[in-house]
Amino acid sequence: MNWMAKTRPGAAAPAIAHTSKPGPASASANTNLKVRTSNGLKEFLWLMSDVPHARVLDLGPVWQATVNFFLEKGYRISTDDLLGTWKEFVSAEEERLRAAPLTSEGYSARLTASALADKFLENALQYPEESFHGVLGWDLFDYFDPAVSSRIMDRLFGILHPGGAVLALFHSRAPERFHRYRIIDTQTVELVAAPTLAVHARVFQNREILELFAKFRSSKTFVGRDQVREGLFLK
Amino acid sequence: MWRKQNDVKPSPQPASKAPEQPVTAVPVKPQPAPTPVAAVPVPAPAMPPAAPAAPAFSAPVTKNVVTHDTSGPSSIASGLKIRGELSGSSDLYIDGEAQGKIALPDSRVTIGPNGRVQADIEAREIIIEGTVEGNLKARESVRLGSSSKVQGSVLTPRIGIDDGAKLRGKVEMTRAGESKGPATAEKPAPPAVVYKAAAASSESESSKR
Repeated sequence: MNWMAKTRPGAAAPAIAHTSKPGPASASANTNLKVRTSNGLKEFLWLMSDVPHARVLDLGPVWQATVNFFLEKGYRISTDDLLGTWKEFVSAEEERLRAAPLTSEGYSARLTASALADKFLENALQYPEESFHGVLGWDLFDYFDPAVSSRIMDRLFGILHPGGAVLALFHSRAPERFHRYRIIDTQTVELVAAPTLAVHARVFQNREILELFAKFRSSKTFVGRDQVREGLFLK
Repeated sequence: MWRKQNDVKPSPQPASKAPEQPVTAVPVKPQPAPTPVAAVPVPAPAMPPAAPAAPAFSAPVTKNVVTHDTSGPSSIASGLKIRGELSGSSDLYIDGEAQGKIALPDSRVTIGPNGRVQADIEAREIIIEGTVEGNLKARESVRLGSSSKVQGSVLTPRIGIDDGAKLRGKVEMTRAGESKGPATAEKPAPPAVVYKAAAASSESESSKR
């Protein structure tokens, strides 16, 4: 995949965030419905459009709409709710350490973020190398400690096919609510309010985003009116 | 499992001979080729009105005999554990724990909210409300309920996912009835092969700057 080598059918739509979907049924059915136009998603799909039966990894929770969206395109979709898995892992780890004798060696060392991340990745994101053509990371990097994020990024880089893309979102300020993301169509994402799984850990600066994705050969960012930056990173 | 009252079928009566006779409770004799026996009139218990025409194997009758209903789903109730390979043609409901392999290609397999299964499941229809670690392969459909938690791949022509379902794995579509027999449709390649094949096809398309 290479966006420099492809011709575009049309210019990207302006990145406009809006809080009501212009559909009669959806707007009336759910007043909390919050959608945003995602040029990053549009670009992500455009990049994969040349790959037959592209394999996509969604790092958010599983949604019928998202699964259908990709299956109808003939893609193979995998879901792995990384933040949910992380929360379960941390809870289990805390429980285990709580039960361990206080005198045990390395008690404090085992609580460091990097040690936790290493242990977490022993079981998480276990996919063969170069398994996926695209990864939907959404805003999960905002919720991880930098030490964890960098390790996750290394793993994602490994499981991504050369030329594959990662779509990630970065908030410019701590979001008011915790949201999960559900694809509505090729350029629209629904923000589904959800119980808070994790506290917003950090606001990334541009430089930090580039550092996080330093291994990737190319990147493109879009900034919406809601000040959410969408980044598309190519391996 | 007890036979439901409305499962009790009247003895076969030619419609032309006896228009509407009082329905009687009739026990089923466990014989492969039952011979029709005249029904003995007994005080009728509460019965649903006029059951539809009895199926071919409907049976001779006596009263007050409880029989096992083989048409209903078999179940592994909460608190039960089973380990091994399950196969057959009956529908299955699991609300307990199961480990091993479940192969019921013509049946419906339901994992209840308390069910915990560590097994690959192959069935006509799979409904999950509990926890499953294993691959799901359905000929018709897979439904993941809101309390479901699945770790493994899903291979099915149709999938339904309720909000709140948790899936850690791959979803792949098959054509309806694909897993039924190799003659009707091409067999899906195992995941590793699919990965390699697709990777090879796309590798040539990707170019580095």
